Amino acid sequence: MNIEQLPIINLLLFLLMALVIPLLKRRPFKLTLILGFIVLGFVFVSSGYLLWYVNNIDIIHYTFGGHEARFGIEFIIDPFSALFTTIIAGLATIIYIYSSGDATEGIEKTEYGRYYVLLFILLMSMFGILYTNDLFNTYVFIEILSITTCAIISIKKKKDTYTAAFRYVMMNELGSLSYLFGVALIYMATGFTNITLIGETMQNAYALYPVNIIIALSFMIIGLGIKAAIFPFHIWLPDAHSAAPSTSSAILSAIVIKVYILVFVKVLFRVFNIDILNEMNISTILLVLAGVGMIMGSVFAIAQKDVKRMLGYSSVAQMGYILLGVGLLSFDGLRAAFFHILSHGLMKTALFLSVGEIIYYKKTRKVNDFDGMGFIMPVAMGVFSIAALGMIGIPLTSGFISKLNLGLAVLDHNQVIFLVILIISSLLNVIYYLPIIILAFLKNEKYRYRMKSIEDTPRTMIAPLILLGVLIIILGLFPNQVMILIEAAVNSIMS
Amino acid sequence: MIKIPRMKIFDSMARSNSYLVGLSLFLLLVFIAFVGNWFGFNLWISNSKFYSQILDSHFIDYISIIIIVIPIIGAIIELVYGDKSIKHRDKSVIYMGFLTLIIVVMIYPVILHRTLELHIPGVFSLGLNLRIDMLGYAVLLLSAFIWFFVMIYAHEYMTKEKKSTRFFFFLSLTYSAVIGAIISGDLLMMFIFFEIMTITSYMLVIHGQNDQSYKAGYNYIIMGLIGGFLILTAIILLYFNIGDLRFESAIEKLEELGNLKYWIMGLLVFGFGIKAGMAPVHVWLPRAHPVAPTPASALLSGVMIKVGAFGIIRAASSYYFPSKDVITSINDPLWSAASHIGAIIIWTGIITMALGVFLALQQANIKKMLAYHSISQMGYIVTGIGVALYLGYEGAMGLTGAMYHIINHALFKSLLFMIAGVIYYHTKELDMYKLGGLWKKLPFTTFTFAVAALGISGIPLFNGYVSKTILHHGIVEAYEMGNHLFFYAELMFIVVSAGTVCSFIKMFYYVFLRKTTNEYKTMVFDYSSLDIAMWSMGLIIILIGLFPSFILKSLIIPILNLTNYDSYFIEHQILHLNVFKSEDLLMTLMIVGIGIIIFFVGKKFNLFHLHLPKWLSIEYLVFFPAYLFMRNLCRLMYGDRCPTDKDDYAKLSEKDVEKIGFIDRFVITSNVFNRKYEQSIIRSDALIYTFFITLILVFMLVKKHLL
Repeated sequence: MNIEQLPIINLLLFLLMALVIPLLKRRPFKLTLILGFIVLGFVFVSSGYLLWYVNNIDIIHYTFGGHEARFGIEFIIDPFSALFTTIIAGLATIIYIYSSGDATEGIEKTEYGRYYVLLFILLMSMFGILYTNDLFNTYVFIEILSITTCAIISIKKKKDTYTAAFRYVMMNELGSLSYLFGVALIYMATGFTNITLIGETMQNAYALYPVNIIIALSFMIIGLGIKAAIFPFHIWLPDAHSAAPSTSSAILSAIVIKVYILVFVKVLFRVFNIDILNEMNISTILLVLAGVGMIMGSVFAIAQKDVKRMLGYSSVAQMGYILLGVGLLSFDGLRAAFFHILSHGLMKTALFLSVGEIIYYKKTRKVNDFDGMGFIMPVAMGVFSIAALGMIGIPLTSGFISKLNLGLAVLDHNQVIFLVILIISSLLNVIYYLPIIILAFLKNEKYRYRMKSIEDTPRTMIAPLILLGVLIIILGLFPNQVMILIEAAVNSIMS
Repeated sequence: MIKIPRMKIFDSMARSNSYLVGLSLFLLLVFIAFVGNWFGFNLWISNSKFYSQILDSHFIDYISIIIIVIPIIGAIIELVYGDKSIKHRDKSVIYMGFLTLIIVVMIYPVILHRTLELHIPGVFSLGLNLRIDMLGYAVLLLSAFIWFFVMIYAHEYMTKEKKSTRFFFFLSLTYSAVIGAIISGDLLMMFIFFEIMTITSYMLVIHGQNDQSYKAGYNYIIMGLIGGFLILTAIILLYFNIGDLRFESAIEKLEELGNLKYWIMGLLVFGFGIKAGMAPVHVWLPRAHPVAPTPASALLSGVMIKVGAFGIIRAASSYYFPSKDVITSINDPLWSAASHIGAIIIWTGIITMALGVFLALQQANIKKMLAYHSISQMGYIVTGIGVALYLGYEGAMGLTGAMYHIINHALFKSLLFMIAGVIYYHTKELDMYKLGGLWKKLPFTTFTFAVAALGISGIPLFNGYVSKTILHHGIVEAYEMGNHLFFYAELMFIVVSAGTVCSFIKMFYYVFLRKTTNEYKTMVFDYSSLDIAMWSMGLIIILIGLFPSFILKSLIIPILNLTNYDSYFIEHQILHLNVFKSEDLLMTLMIVGIGIIIFFVGKKFNLFHLHLPKWLSIEYLVFFPAYLFMRNLCRLMYGDRCPTDKDDYAKLSEKDVEKIGFIDRFVITSNVFNRKYEQSIIRSDALIYTFFITLILVFMLVKKHLL
């Protein structure tokens, strides 16, 4: 088998799996789960292999149907896309294992199959977005992604989930169309949709049609901003998160919104280049958005009574961190942003999954009901605490490393004010995460006697949680190994 | 004639603990013998083959990791035994503490010979840097002794408290973090251990698990984390501008940064100062120390706040001092940064000590009073650090005073807290106006209290006198060699010392001497682990007071020699320092006199019961604009139709910060804000979209066409 076809096989496997699930309807559901796990495992291994391959041997170009790149669709597997597909596959596998322990909260039994179909299509579209080197093809995958996400949000068949899903689909269509508008304008100015080719002619096109390019870029910022839940466009996120089942909240928060930011990075650095961006002063816009988001996301999170809403707003604030790194338009900034994408992915997954377990077994999602929870569900609350401490930025967790890198990157850009914002935002994180930990472990110890029967939850739910907790700490202790891969990705995106 | 009743021994471990303490004192004796070169002991060790082999071996470099790991192992073993066998559980903690103590004492000759450094790359992105030099070693030795004694004490004390397994577990983890912070080789490592210390010691503060301790604990951890973030900011700024965080002279690079170098030092001083209980940011200390169980408050006051002061010394004396091979005179401009910072630190220290003693005089709760005295005494230390920086090349006296006072204060303050614990252990009462006449029932405790009180008051022949005299010399030098304004600092110093004397006369009178109706009939006269630990600490206090030059010779002079100070000054002023000069003794006599006068005046006119109005607390004054804003925010947003509950509004207008703190108010305000704006933001989706796209377009197009 040719190595070039491996990424396509990944995509096809996801699609095939989505097709097979309805066919297995009559068989025991366990079969579907095992098959899905095999697919995910294979994809994770093959993405890992591709990551090794592109870092050590060569970048892979693949054109569909043998057309040349300017007419056909081109896939590029470089350190950037290989790294993030591996991360996505890894996180998805963890979430998948967890969800197979029947914690798909609130979903009817008959809908299980549908849920997994959607999950695999979701993964397929995200892989597509990362692999493709074509702006329009990206749009196609983005559409698939938003429609499947909408279906996943509304899977619970309750009234409020429909409102949330409707708001989501309206906002995201707005976002997609803005993006498409941007693509069309760029196509008008350059005549290409292939990212590499646009990148080569961009300087020329900007000299000829500056207004076109400016309008295109601003529509793309807004469009992708809506999808990535950057602060004033985060509107759909809190409702969608509180409505969706916990596992899909985890996927949404930890993976999906990150993918849009990655698209945005691709658009910024590959379609436009840094000179044009600096000339247009994009940095200022992005940094202002990031700074406001970092503070306001946390302020809203403090006021939430519903845990999942709170985590949703926390994601908004954390997207601000990532946007801050991207908006600096520098090597250090991107490095910090990419590391935070990974570390926030781990931490948010851990938070949503542990909260999911609590919601599933204790049927409560009010923050105030968490008293004594540490004694009922020590593993879930323990992992929650590790991840929450990571969010605050306590040393020994990965959150600390990303804050350190982000701080250094900000200084590199002479933006001391953002260092202040970073610190204030960390303090706001303290205000809403710390009381939960204190509440869970130190108050209402009447539940203490239940310690003896530690969490009779299935092992498939406990194991991913523990794995996530361990990964957060390992990443906090030994960041250098991952940093090498991230730096390779940054280099490939900036060249 | 006091009739000494028969002693009873309840505690099964009292005997083995006595042996352990005896061994530790023997260890101290060996240490003294080594330093004093009794019977050629020093030479014998230095020339022995074993010692030279140790010096050459690679193994010795790893000793720093080993002493960090030992308490953690103790904690794990402790957890394994749990509540099954209290005896074994406590033994694991105590023996691990003892093991650490042995190792720490044993490496003294090695440290004297060279600095132990360990670098493991690849961890924490900058690598794991540990180093034990004399400065770290002095604090390390001190912590090892005090921690060991307090653990012995805690074993007995905690039998009356609940969940002691958890307490000992976190006590050991805190120990490990404290050691780590002391022996870390760069600022990042120090910060990491510092944060761990904040979190683990939080568990000690809230051990009581009542409303009061939750409140105090929340205050403690929030302030601690804020301090951590300040240090982190300083770390990021330093690393970015200097590219290295190891504790080495960086003043030449810092000098190019202009005012930023003061910002960095300011962040560090405040970041570490929060832990050290420095004046404007001390507010957590008087709340947290009294609510913690006594062993924890003894350690918080004795060791942990010293780590904060140590952090300031470490950062200032490494980064802001010119390196030894560059500078050899006082007139070099490179000293100016340290000098400017020092002047500010001196005044902060003076304010801290005055504020602490003033508030301590008003307290009725013994532990609270001791906590305020901790603030006041930290003021002495901070002033010493200030002098050490202010005088630059000639500032050795300040550093000597600060280090000496760190050692002394750690000893007598943990002893005082332990005595307060014993009083509470027997009477369940901490209000000094309700106690009285305890000297008949607890004669030994009364005696140890007298020793500790004489120590803290600075009476000759006790340890506090030595360090206070040195600090006084330091301040006098500051105004003789520097600015004359520091004359007022000296005045404040005298007044504060008198206040301290008065405060302890007051405590001694009300708690021990005064006749009361209380008979304390149920109180049993026993011998336990509590007493052994306290006696040995009292013994050390007296020893230091009798032989003041021992600490100077063994610990402080090597520190000064490693720091860039004038060696002529060290040789002549400090090595042969005689604290028992007539003018110093007269000064002390005056201080004691003023103290006694204050006591009688205060007692006569009931001044000790005066309380300041609630709004006059520092916290309220500092945050007043913020409070005003928060209270009126609802009005601002809604006009007169503000729908906030009466309850929330009442909370926001509360004047007593003890009840509703800044964070609580902020949470209430954000709730109000959320109620008003969250839904309206969500509903105005289309508006936001159009607004922002126009904004960005206008911004970019206007920019484009203007240029």
